[in-house]
Amino acid sequence: MPFDARSDVLANKILTTLPAADLERIKPKLERFEMVFGATLNTPNQIAEHIYFPDSGMISLLGTLGEGSNLEISIVASEGAIPLCPFLGTPSSPVRALVQGHGIAHRIKTADFLDECRASPELTRMLLHFTRSLMLQISQCAVCFRFHMIEERLARWLLMSADRMESNEFLMTQKTLSSMLGVRREGVTKAASHLQKLGIIQYSRGKIHILDRPQLEGAACACYAILSAETQ
Amino acid sequence: MQLPLGKVLYESGDKMSHIYFPTTAIISLLYIMENGGTAEIGIAGNNGLIGMALYMGGETTSSRAVVQSAGGAVRMTAADLRAEFARGGLFQNLLLRYTQSLMTQISQTAVCNRLHSIQQQLCRWLLINHDQLAADKLVMTHDLIANMLGVRREGVTHAAGTLQEMGIIKYSRGTITMLDRKALESVACECYQVVSTEYDRLLGEYLRTNLPDRIAPNSASVRQRTVKEKVFT
Repeated sequence: MPFDARSDVLANKILTTLPAADLERIKPKLERFEMVFGATLNTPNQIAEHIYFPDSGMISLLGTLGEGSNLEISIVASEGAIPLCPFLGTPSSPVRALVQGHGIAHRIKTADFLDECRASPELTRMLLHFTRSLMLQISQCAVCFRFHMIEERLARWLLMSADRMESNEFLMTQKTLSSMLGVRREGVTKAASHLQKLGIIQYSRGKIHILDRPQLEGAACACYAILSAETQ
Repeated sequence: MQLPLGKVLYESGDKMSHIYFPTTAIISLLYIMENGGTAEIGIAGNNGLIGMALYMGGETTSSRAVVQSAGGAVRMTAADLRAEFARGGLFQNLLLRYTQSLMTQISQTAVCNRLHSIQQQLCRWLLINHDQLAADKLVMTHDLIANMLGVRREGVTHAAGTLQEMGIIKYSRGTITMLDRKALESVACECYQVVSTEYDRLLGEYLRTNLPDRIAPNSASVRQRTVKEKVFT
C-alpha cells in the first residue's frame, strides 16, 4: 500500500478548520501517531486515554456483538475524531475502533482534550457537527443493512474506502470484508467475483484494485451518494 | 401537550422550531429511504428527546419523528434550548450523554437489522417500547410494526403469532399485551440488553430517582451497575 508522506502534515479537517489561536494552543499537546493496519484505537468499555484526529488512513467503528465478531457501522477518516465518548460525557463507550487503512493521526490526551473543548467553542461546535454526521452515517448503515444486497454494499464499501485512502488500490482480505459487511465469506466471494467479471474491480491475494470507478458507483446502493454528500 | 397516535412531529428535511421531551408519549425515529421506504432507527420515550439536531448544530432533521404511542410531552423553543445548552453544566451534560445513548441504539439497530431474525427484532422492539410505557398494553397494528422494522407484514404476523403461542404476548384487535416480560427477554437477541445497559450507564444515575417504579430497576441495569464511573463535567 502506498504510504503517503503528505500525511505528516496536520491534515485533519477538524483541527485545520480551528481558529489559528485555538490551533496554536492545542498544537503542543498533539502527538503524531502512526495508525497501523489492524490496530485497535478504542476498546469497548475501557477508558479512552487519547483522542485521535486522523490525517490520513481510515478507522472502522464496529458494533457491539458477541465475542469475536465485528460488524462495521461507520468509517471515520480525516473529517473526524475518535473516540467521541469523553466529549459526550463518559470516559468509555461500547464501540470498537479498528484501523482499517494505514495512515497518520494526531492524538491528544483525554484530559487535555477536555480542557481544549472547554476553551474552544469552535472545537465544541465542530465536534457536535461531526457527532451528528456520524449518527447519520450509522443510521444510513442501519437502513443499508436492512434493504440492500451484498453486491451493492460491497460496491459502496469499496468506494468509501477508496475515497478515504485516496487510492484505487488497497489491501483487504475476504475474511475482513465478510465481517465488515456482516455476511458470510461465500457471499463476499460471489459478489466480488461478479464485480470482477464485469471488469469493475480486480481482486487477487487480498489486494483490491478498482478498475472502473464510474461503473462501481453504478453498482453501489444510493447510500454511497447520500453519505458522500453528507461528509462534504 | 398531548400527542396523538400517528402525529408527525417532524418530516425529514423539516426546519425544527422546538425540541420535544416526551413524558408519556413514545416517538419513533424513522429513516426515509430514497424510494420512500422507511425503517425505524431509534425510539424516544420519557427517557429521551426529539430534536437533537437543534443542539448538534443543525436546523433540519434527517429522520421523520412520528408518535407511535399517544401521550404527553413538553417542548421548548429552539432559541431557549440553544441558550440553555450554551450555559454548559448538567443540562448540556445530560443532552450529550443522551446523544451517546441514542448513537448506541442506532448502532445496535444496524447490527440487529443485519444479523438477527425478524422474531428477535420484534422482541427487541417490544422490550424497548415496554420500557417506555406505563402499562403492559401497546396499541399497534402489524402494519405499523412492519413499517418500523422495515420488514413485510407477514413476517411480523408470523413472529407475533409464535410469541403468542409461547404465551409471551397477547395480540388482539391492534393491542399488544405483555404477558411474560422475563420470557420475552430470554428469547430476544442481545441487542436489547446492550442498549438498555448502555443507557443506564450513561444516564441511569441521574434518572433513577425520577422514574416510576415499574421502569426504574430494569433487570439489566441492576446487574450491570457494579462500577460507578466518574462524570466529566
